[in-house]
Amino acid sequence: MYDYLVIGAGVTGANIARMLSKYELNVIVLDKESDIGNGATLANSAIVHSGHDPKEDTLKAKLCVRGNALYHELEKNLDVPLMHNGAYLLASDEESEAQLDTLFNRAKYNGVHAEFVPLEVAFKEEPNIAKDTTRVLSLPSTKITYPWEVALACMENAVSNGVTYKGNQTVNSIQKDGDIFTVTTEEGDVYETKHIINAAGVFVEKIAAMIEKDVPYKINPRRGEYYVLDRRTKGFVNRTIYPVPSVRGKGVLLVPQIHGNILVGPNAIEQDSLDDYSNTPDGLRWVRNEASRIVQNIPFDQIIRTFTGIRPSIYQYDFYIEESLEVDNFFHVAGIDSPGLTAAPAIAEYVEEILKGKMRLVKKESYDPKRRKLVLYNEMTKRQQQKAFDEDKRYGNLICKCEKITEADVVKSIHSPIPATSVKAIKKRARAGAGLCQGGYCEHQVLKLLARELEKPLTQVDYYHPSTPLVKTETKVKP
Amino acid sequence: MTYDIVIIGGGAAGLAALHSAYEDGLKILLIEREKTLGGILKQCIHNGFGVHHYKEELTGPEYAERGIEAIQDLDIDVFTDTTVIDISKKKKEFTLSMMNTVDGEFDVKAKAVIMSTGCYERTRGQIQLPGERPAGIMPAGSAQRYLNIDGYLVGKKVFILGSGDIGLIMARRMKLEGADVLGVAELMPYSNGLTRNIVQCLHDFDIPLYLSHTITNIKGKKQLEQITISEVDERFVPIAGTEKHFDVDTLLLSVGLVPDIKMFDSLNMDISPLTKGAIVDQFFQTSVEGLFACGNSLHVHDLVDFVTQESEKAGEYAKQYVKEGSLRQKKLTSVMPGDRVRYVLPQKIDLTADQEGWTFALRATENAQRGTFKIYQGDALIMEKKARFIAPAEMEHIEVKKDLLVSNEPLKISLEVLA
Repeated sequence: MYDYLVIGAGVTGANIARMLSKYELNVIVLDKESDIGNGATLANSAIVHSGHDPKEDTLKAKLCVRGNALYHELEKNLDVPLMHNGAYLLASDEESEAQLDTLFNRAKYNGVHAEFVPLEVAFKEEPNIAKDTTRVLSLPSTKITYPWEVALACMENAVSNGVTYKGNQTVNSIQKDGDIFTVTTEEGDVYETKHIINAAGVFVEKIAAMIEKDVPYKINPRRGEYYVLDRRTKGFVNRTIYPVPSVRGKGVLLVPQIHGNILVGPNAIEQDSLDDYSNTPDGLRWVRNEASRIVQNIPFDQIIRTFTGIRPSIYQYDFYIEESLEVDNFFHVAGIDSPGLTAAPAIAEYVEEILKGKMRLVKKESYDPKRRKLVLYNEMTKRQQQKAFDEDKRYGNLICKCEKITEADVVKSIHSPIPATSVKAIKKRARAGAGLCQGGYCEHQVLKLLARELEKPLTQVDYYHPSTPLVKTETKVKP
Repeated sequence: MTYDIVIIGGGAAGLAALHSAYEDGLKILLIEREKTLGGILKQCIHNGFGVHHYKEELTGPEYAERGIEAIQDLDIDVFTDTTVIDISKKKKEFTLSMMNTVDGEFDVKAKAVIMSTGCYERTRGQIQLPGERPAGIMPAGSAQRYLNIDGYLVGKKVFILGSGDIGLIMARRMKLEGADVLGVAELMPYSNGLTRNIVQCLHDFDIPLYLSHTITNIKGKKQLEQITISEVDERFVPIAGTEKHFDVDTLLLSVGLVPDIKMFDSLNMDISPLTKGAIVDQFFQTSVEGLFACGNSLHVHDLVDFVTQESEKAGEYAKQYVKEGSLRQKKLTSVMPGDRVRYVLPQKIDLTADQEGWTFALRATENAQRGTFKIYQGDALIMEKKARFIAPAEMEHIEVKKDLLVSNEPLKISLEVLA
């Protein structure tokens, strides 16, 4: 019997799990994917927003600003990567300048520091912004993180504080008898719990409908497509570059990433499907054109990848974080679209307050807020590298030359607190295959290391999801 | 440790360059990231290699073996299982940083460096394939490695995008292993592979080739389930209503190779947007003095025989550079591709060098039964060469004698197609 069962191991669910792990509670997190953070957490702009954009007096405004501040705690205690690079918001005509004023006032109202910068300073700092830029608003508290690692860090910390995490668990029914929920999964497992926190991202309505007659929100998934530029483009823009929001949407951004790449995107297209992550030629073309309005000469010849994310938007503007009106002890954490990544730690705090209003939460003596990340070879100083190699010769075996990832990095990812069990899970943790050749050189080596470490035949090592092996059958004659 | 010449990459190019660069008294180092020498040839178990260079048909591994045997007894250093991670240059000396499991990270110095690092395959990300991103989509060369080196088949129902030679070879190879190969789609109105591969790998096995077609959708949440191809118009825009669907578990990509030269980034050498490899002079020397390039890391070849021949020259010139201190005397003159020519290599020549002439490698942009290559210097036509069966897939070589030159102006090579 669990006290709390969290559905969804994205950045929201992981932050909530970490919050719950502070207390004397028996907590489990279920996720339908083979690895944590595979939905909106994996595919977004990676921005820790300042809070200049959400409408005044909304939960989004409040939790975004609070979340932005809480990222410093995540950086300090969880080793979450954070790039304090700020943002520029650009205007190029009277209309957009007026909007810049609106955003400036909104930032002020929301308690966010914003300042107009002289054009000559802006062009000096960001030489590639469009020449027809007429006004620039600077948002120094905008930051960049690696969203997936935020989820990993929170979940690893939660697990080390006693939370159970289980992947490959697709919830397909929720029953309530008295005070006890019975949750069953497609995989055939059954869990009993006193409380449920529904943080299922784009599937949040589907989960709620398993127990509620009238779900108080409707999911409105919106696709966003991106280009990823190679690390060679590092420095092309240093800050996040936003246009002002327009009739064409919130706008296409250029976003420098933690690992040196630059993201260009997204668009925003409503769709019915909850899991169609297709890229469309039209969508990408639009992104390209829009991006070229705010920044010139974007090095599109350095594209290494495109991807699509799905925003778990609901029709209401604001986040919906409430206990169910129909079912006691069932909590909705819904509509966590932008600035959801930023707000995630504040959402956990907000949920904590709701729970405290309902029950007495007893602090766990042994709770340790700290988590040390797996430091990759390429993140070490020369001296650390030498020491690491002296202790473990596998640090001398370069597996991925694009990203400089060694055998030891891969093996340690496989045996980490939330183990990597697939080729893509390795890519997310150790970045093998995330570079220029996109795994062309290292993939077979990663596959073999997984087989060796997990003691499985090669044909049973998945690319990502269960039953998606990269190699299907052994040929009759062994070479 | 300071070497006279360090060669990076022990495939066909590196082996040939080493063989010709070798001379008693010169300190030479060959670095190879894999356990054994031979490079990509090791996984190319089909035959057809060596017809030009050895005058006989060899398999890839046999061809590699010849190159390895030729250097076996030479007094040189060979580091296998060692990967170069960075190269820098101060004054006339290169510093190469590399790593392996014996010594960790370490540096060596060199007077000259030959890059023979090969190429990598373009991926779905680089060509921005539309649709979902399930498992089951991979470069054809990766599938070839899994099959020929590791002994595993990557799928049972296969479609191939791109008619490059690896794609064609893998169509046959997968078929022979019992997979169902449903077709090959090619964006261009002609194949990008050698004619013999079209015949022997597709026609002989009744595998359809869809020219002027591209992939317009991919379906599959987890594992690939279906691909859609459509015909394209002259501007490569898919034509609505021409969709064909194929239920497959595997899509192999044979959509181009790119010189693998990222490790040289910190040297800031000039790179050709046409070949994506270094810009070189007639000595196969890059814009960084003392850095030579050859093989697929310079420009992607269709025949390994030409890799060997080119790399032997590069090795020869690297040796000359080490002995003489410099090869470059005067200003360099550009050699440019003209009409219907995709690129010409070398891109620069030193007209004052003591040479009788130069051999240019080039590729046409279209197929032609008969045509004439015209070499201009400035506006003056200085040479014509008739050719037959011209194809973008097949590299052409043209020798130009120095005494034909009429000025110091840039050279240009064009192709005129005869109806």
